[in-house]
Amino acid sequence: MRHVIGFLAIVFAGLIGAQFLKNSRDTSRDARPVVRVFGPSSFVSQWGPGPWLKTQFEKTCDCRVEFVDGADSTILFQRVKSEARSGTDVVVGIDQYDLETASSSFEWRDLSKTGFVFDPAVQNALGHSKFIPYDWAPLAFMLRRSDHPQLPTKLDDLLAPTWAGQISMEDPRTSSPGLQFLLWLIHVKGEEPAFEYLKKFNKNVKSYAASWSMAYGLFTKRQVKAAFSYVTSPIFHVVEEKDTDVVAVEFQEGHFVQYEYVGVPTQCRQCELAEKFVALLLSPEGQKIVMEKNYMFPVIQGVKEGTPFVNVPPLRTVEPVNLPSLADRERILKKWSALRRME
Amino acid sequence: MFVAFFESVKYVGHLIPIAFLRVFLGYYYLDLAMTKFRGPFLVQPRFAGEIAEILPTLQAPIWYKNAIETFLIPHWQTIAFLLVGLQFAIAFSYLLGYVVRPMALIAAFLALNQLALTAAGTEELPRMLLAIHLTLAWVGAGRCLGLDYYFFKRRRGLWW
Repeated sequence: MRHVIGFLAIVFAGLIGAQFLKNSRDTSRDARPVVRVFGPSSFVSQWGPGPWLKTQFEKTCDCRVEFVDGADSTILFQRVKSEARSGTDVVVGIDQYDLETASSSFEWRDLSKTGFVFDPAVQNALGHSKFIPYDWAPLAFMLRRSDHPQLPTKLDDLLAPTWAGQISMEDPRTSSPGLQFLLWLIHVKGEEPAFEYLKKFNKNVKSYAASWSMAYGLFTKRQVKAAFSYVTSPIFHVVEEKDTDVVAVEFQEGHFVQYEYVGVPTQCRQCELAEKFVALLLSPEGQKIVMEKNYMFPVIQGVKEGTPFVNVPPLRTVEPVNLPSLADRERILKKWSALRRME
Repeated sequence: MFVAFFESVKYVGHLIPIAFLRVFLGYYYLDLAMTKFRGPFLVQPRFAGEIAEILPTLQAPIWYKNAIETFLIPHWQTIAFLLVGLQFAIAFSYLLGYVVRPMALIAAFLALNQLALTAAGTEELPRMLLAIHLTLAWVGAGRCLGLDYYFFKRRRGLWW
């Protein structure tokens, strides 16, 4: 037994040492201050707007931008908490439902909105002194026109047996669009009817993926005929694939909107640089790159003029008067998990 | 030590093929652990994301799914570190032939979890690994061409 414990202790001590050495080598190569930006994969990955913003920012700041990938919002806050010692300067990718969690988990600096001309469409999202939205889009189901001569017009149309295993959804426990769908359903139908609806709807769902990219990947690979996504997603197909077949379907019930916010925690180490990074994100150039890379609407007026985003047909949106509290959300998610387990 | 290393062939020479299998598996685990250590496995939560994605479709018992959901996913960083550490431990143990029996049991436990978290249709590899680890633990594969022989000679015990 002594041998086993000793052996394991040596291996783990070696691993801790090697990890420490690896981290210190990475940071000691460059003496410039480091701005640590926490964001979801869609922001910090190679195909997101993060790398472009990093290059632009590093040209003028005499600093280094380091991205920390938080996958999706739920995991993002865990990472901010677990890496508090290393410093967190900017957090991007906080949606309106995460604001309460963000405010209760961390303290945030006030961010000034002066100097920015916001699009009138995001006026409802500007009521926070500590968070500023940087992109937005309503959510809807994406389909291919060629697959569906008759497009669905309401949620109940998706319960038809012809949809069996043909819809790709996001898991509401780990993905923001997934949560938006669940809350939208509850807003439109009421809680009990919404769960009754889900019992039937889940039979038509191929999978509940952990993130939007995994769920939408099934749709782009044509493994499903519909996916829940942003109304701006068809532009991706037009720009990248020259495919005009994909449409965001308008439902009679109206559509929920997702806003993504940026914030600077008070635990920031490079607070001034962090605020400058936020300013770059909200500059017309920054907004253009967010729009083009994330395929979301910009929040600054005039940025989308002359781009395919102007042609996105406006959908009727609905916004809940009161956002559900954290406790309410947890209760709803537990109920959702229980429903999934019973299947 | 060097003499003892080869002396083992004289007494447990029939285990040479098993020793080769052990070393091969040691290399396999070393490669697995190094890839994880060099890549973003310890710093990016993709591992938790992948498990969260597959969890609703698994046939595992409910208590196991609950444990994964409430413990593994929120503490992904600790679990990722433990996993890489254990893979290194298994790799060194198999390569050196040291404390092979307990390490093989740990490896079997990992393979069992891998089996439970694997999507339908891809469970052959973890199932095969589980069988091999249990076999290595059963025969005490470090006794041939390994340090277990140096430390424990021909004494058989629970741990070697």
